[in-house]
Parts: sequence; structure tokens; C-alpha cells
Amino acid sequence: MSEFSLAGWRLERRIEQSRFSRPIGLAVALVGAILVCSVLFVSAGANPLTAFATLAKGSFGSLRVTGETLVKATPLIFTGLAACVAFRARLWNIGAEGQVFAGAMFAFWMQHNLGGYPALVQIPIVVAGGIAGGALYAGLAAVLKTRFSVDEVISTVMLNYIIVYVLSMLLLRGPWSEAGGFFEQSARIDRGAVLPIVLAGTRLHAGFLLAIVAAVLVYFLLKRTPLGYEIKAAGSNLRALDVQGTNTRRLILVVFLVSGALAGLAGVTEVYGVQYRLKAGAIAGYGYSGIIVAILGQLHPAGVVVAAILFGALLNGAILMQITTGVPSALIYAVQAILLLFFLAGWAACNFRLRRIADA
Amino acid sequence: MLDTLFQASILVSIAAATVRIATPLLLAALGELVAERGGVYNMGLEGMMLMGAFTGYLAAYESGSLWVGVAAAGFTGALMAFVFAVMVITLKVEQIVTGLAVNLLGAGLSTYWLRAAFAGDGQTPTIPFFANAPIPYLSELPYVGPVLFDQKLITYLAFLMVPAVWFFLYRTRYGLILRCAGDNPKALDVKGIAVAPVQYAAVVFGGLMAGLGGAFLSVGSAARFVPEMTNGRGWLAIIIVIAGLWRPWSILVAALLFSFLDALQLQIQGIGIAIPYQLLLMMPYVAAIVALMVRRSRASAPAMLGVPYLRE
Repeated sequence: MSEFSLAGWRLERRIEQSRFSRPIGLAVALVGAILVCSVLFVSAGANPLTAFATLAKGSFGSLRVTGETLVKATPLIFTGLAACVAFRARLWNIGAEGQVFAGAMFAFWMQHNLGGYPALVQIPIVVAGGIAGGALYAGLAAVLKTRFSVDEVISTVMLNYIIVYVLSMLLLRGPWSEAGGFFEQSARIDRGAVLPIVLAGTRLHAGFLLAIVAAVLVYFLLKRTPLGYEIKAAGSNLRALDVQGTNTRRLILVVFLVSGALAGLAGVTEVYGVQYRLKAGAIAGYGYSGIIVAILGQLHPAGVVVAAILFGALLNGAILMQITTGVPSALIYAVQAILLLFFLAGWAACNFRLRRIADA
Repeated sequence: MLDTLFQASILVSIAAATVRIATPLLLAALGELVAERGGVYNMGLEGMMLMGAFTGYLAAYESGSLWVGVAAAGFTGALMAFVFAVMVITLKVEQIVTGLAVNLLGAGLSTYWLRAAFAGDGQTPTIPFFANAPIPYLSELPYVGPVLFDQKLITYLAFLMVPAVWFFLYRTRYGLILRCAGDNPKALDVKGIAVAPVQYAAVVFGGLMAGLGGAFLSVGSAARFVPEMTNGRGWLAIIIVIAGLWRPWSILVAALLFSFLDALQLQIQGIGIAIPYQLLLMMPYVAAIVALMVRRSRASAPAMLGVPYLRE
């Protein structure tokens, strides 16, 4: 049922969208999201205006915090691109979260066994390790889907839970734990494997540039390559592609490998660019946020970069907000979900219009 | 050491733990079953359970009454399910994406409000939790008594919901209408029965049950709320519905199998067999993937599951 009627008004589906409906829908969604966030601020006993102001100041107020915003955006660009590639093909890879872990772990494993080589050797190995780890873990979900018909939403979510325990096993009194350390983390990584800082006075590291390069590559992949064409075709009708003669099993595997590789890089840049240690707390949460980033970015690489920087700003600004107004920074995760819900509803609402029943 | 695992008293305690641990899984899975029978994939189950656990805890803490907590949890689950229903049934937004949004909302809001409510304290205060309510005479039966008849009231409720949901689905007119909404909504429409209200009711009921399942975790056993305390149980409930082939009794069996694994690992940890505890904790998730690899047929799934109904 697509029609509701209430007090002489009826909600009905539009045949075609008007030129204005989409921007208006988005604007209404944004206002709605801001209003709900204000209510949340008040629920924590803070003045919404002050809270929004400190949020902005904490994210773009100076060179240092702007750099920090981009640092926070870096893993989100990778996970956003990961979701972007998979969702374009309507393959629901919810596993970026676990693939971030797998990338960081595989890179750490390769670099850890290597020893103190110069950066020119170590950094490419770490990057390759991240790509391989993320791709392998995502490939597992692809094989489960194509060979065992296990739904990818469920397998990737389960794999997300499983790898957290695997990492914990390796780090807590395991082969990777810091000698004599008390916390569940590795020792500090070798200086030669650290991603270099690219903007003096900030913590902005080479991983950000890598993320931008990845976004450009994904853009060309989707726009200019046969694989990109197949991905988009799979998104509109996988069965038709199958009938047409494309090996869809192979396509599903390739999409998962690419998506997982991108997610794996998020783990690498976080561990080797920011934390300099392998620990679960440092890499958790980026996979799920990346899905929101991808959808808000309209599954377009440029949109992903913009949305990731916005979310990086939220994460970063929340730190100052917590210090000055006492609003817990955990709010940001709720805000991300609220933004997503409002935008989804806003876009969908563009397909409807209200009419007086008497006019119809 | 292994033979200690097979003593009668230990087997009884594993069986009793299995029944206890099955409670939240069973509540959420039966709710999901009703929603999916109506044709809607509620992927937001995890978030609804988590918010149920949180509001249940907070309401019980503020009011001093555990039953107020349970009611608040059920209401919160239903409210979130209503939002979900507006998005997927009326606005026809992608069900998977909306479900994820609801999960993230649950995780974010519960952590945020927990920190806002108990700012400064490192530890959140504990509340009294539901004591066992042994059933007179029955609970004194050897073996069976402690396993089945010395549990919490919510556990009895969860297990009684199995025949109740079965009866509703297969023996009532409304159950028939609901199954029709999932299998052939057009037929329903032709008969002059609107599909959307049926699906709304099914989804909201599913959210209510998920909220109650969440309440069992916080108010029912842990006596406090911990961020992310559902730890994938909402997802396991979805898997239990698939592994249980969308049938109430098979779902009961699947829920018991999963909770048996959990009960077993608790016992193994308890007697100190030298296995890394992380390996034990990941067992249900591995088992879930294996279960889906074995149960490959989706022939018994509602025919139009996950497909929004568009009226021509």
C-alpha cells in the first residue's frame, strides 16, 4: 500500500520527481537531523548553540585541529570507498569493520616478522599487507556467498565479531603482546615502518594522500573500466548479467576483494600513521561509520571524501565539545545514525507528494 | 578433567544455563519470525535489543521497579521498530541499510545517554535483578526441575511464546493474513485487506520482543548496562530464524543449540580447561556461519521476504 490518507490529504507516489523535490527533501532532512541533535544536547544538559559552536571550533578552528580532522577522516575515506564499491553492485558487504582489523593484522604480521629495514622497504610491505589482509577476509565472505549461498550480510557481520576475538587472542598474553606490557596491545612499531607526516604542525600522515589517490582510482574504476560497468550492471540486475554471459561468481569475488582491500588500508593507516601500535580500540568503529559515509556520499567517490571529512570533523570536534560543555563524545555515533536515517527518509520522501483528496 | 564435565550435576547446570541463555535469543527470534512472516526483514534487531537493555536498566534504576524496566524496554523496542516500519514499509527505503542505521542508532544513543546519566562515575550503579521464580512442586523434580522449572519469569514467558506464536500463525485468521502478507501480499490487497497495517503490526511486535530480550540481559541477569552488551545476539536471533526454517518449534531447537554452545563454554571456562577463552567466545559466531552453510535451502522462507509491496 503506497497511499495514506488523513484529514482530506493523501500521500501518493510520484510518477516522476520534480526538479525541486530532491534539494528540498535534503534540506528538510538536514534541519530535522539538527533539531534531533539539539534535543540530544539538551538531554545531556548542554546549550545546543554552544555545543554546535564548540563542535565547529574543535574541528576546523586552527591548522592543528583541521589536520586532526583529516586524520580522523582518513580511515573513513577508505571504509566509505569499500562500502561504495560493494553497494554499487548491491552486494551488502557489512564487513568493512572486520576487514579493517584483518588489514591491520596482516600488515602487522608481515612487518613484525621483517625487522628493522629502511622505510622504503617497510612501508610498501605494510601497505601491501593491509590490502592483502582486507581482501582475503572479504574474499572469505564472497566464497561463502557464491559456493555455500550464505547471505553476505550475515556472514560479514559474524566475521566482524570473530576477528575481534582472534586479535584479542594474539595480543593478550599472545605472540604479539608487548613484552612485560599490561594492556591488550602490541609494542610500539619500528620507526622505519611509520607513515611520514605530510603537513608540519599537524599529525596528518601520508595515509591521507593514499586515501585521496584511492578515491580517484575508485572513481576511474567505476566510470571508465569494464569492471566498473559490470559492477553497476550487477547493481541493477545481477541475473540479467548472468544470462548475458558474465561470470557473476567471479564478479562477486572481485568486488569483495576490492572492497576488502580498501577497508584493509584503513587499518594500516590507523596503526602505522596514528597509533604506532596494534590495538583493537584504535581501529574499531570505522567500518560501520564507513557505511554511513558511503550512503551519505551517494555512493560516489567524491561524495565519500566529503562525507568522510564531515564525519572526521564530528569525531574530532566532539573531543573539544566533551571538554568544554560536558556532552559525552559518544553522541557522535548517535548523530551519524540520525543523519543517515533522516537522509534516507528525505531521499525516499522525494518520491512522494501530498495531495488534497478533493483535487484528485 | 574432561570427565568432570560429564557428571550429572554438571550436566544439569549446563542444561539450566542453556535454558537461561536461550531466553533473549528466543524472544528476539520469535519477534523476528513474526516480522519476516509478514514479509519484512528486520535487520535492526541488534539495535532494538540494545536500546531495550539500556532503557530497561535506566527505568528500573530510576523507578526502583524491575517490571517498570521491562515495560520500558518493550516500549523502546516497539518505538524503534515503528520508526523502522515507517522507513521501510511506507517510504520503501532499503531494508538492510535502514536496519544498519537502527543498529548504529541503538549503539550510539545507549552509550551517549549512559555517559550523560552517570557522568563522572567510572562504574554505573548496579540494580537488583530478577531472582529465579521456582515453580512449586515441579521445580523439585529430579534433573528436569532445576533445568525447566527454576528459572526467571521472563524465561517462562519466552518459552511459552513458542506455542503462542505457533498458534497465532497457524491457527488464527490473523495469522493467516500475516503469512499472506509475506507470501503473496497482492492476494491480500485483492481481498480488500490493506497490507501495510499488517506489516506495521508485525514489525512493531518484533521490536517489542527484541526490547524484552534486551531487558533480560540488563534487568534480568547482568544487573547493569554495559555499552554493546548485546554483543551480536540480535544478529544471532536473525540467524536462528533462518536456521529454524521460519517455523516456531524449529526456532526453539535452533535457539537452544546456540545457547547450549554458550553454556558449554561458560562451564569449560569455569573448570579451567586450558583453551584461550577467546576461542570459546567466538564459537557461536562460527557456529552461525556453519549453520547457514548447512541449511542452504531458503525454500521455506516467505516468498516476498524483503520485497517492499508496491501497489499498482
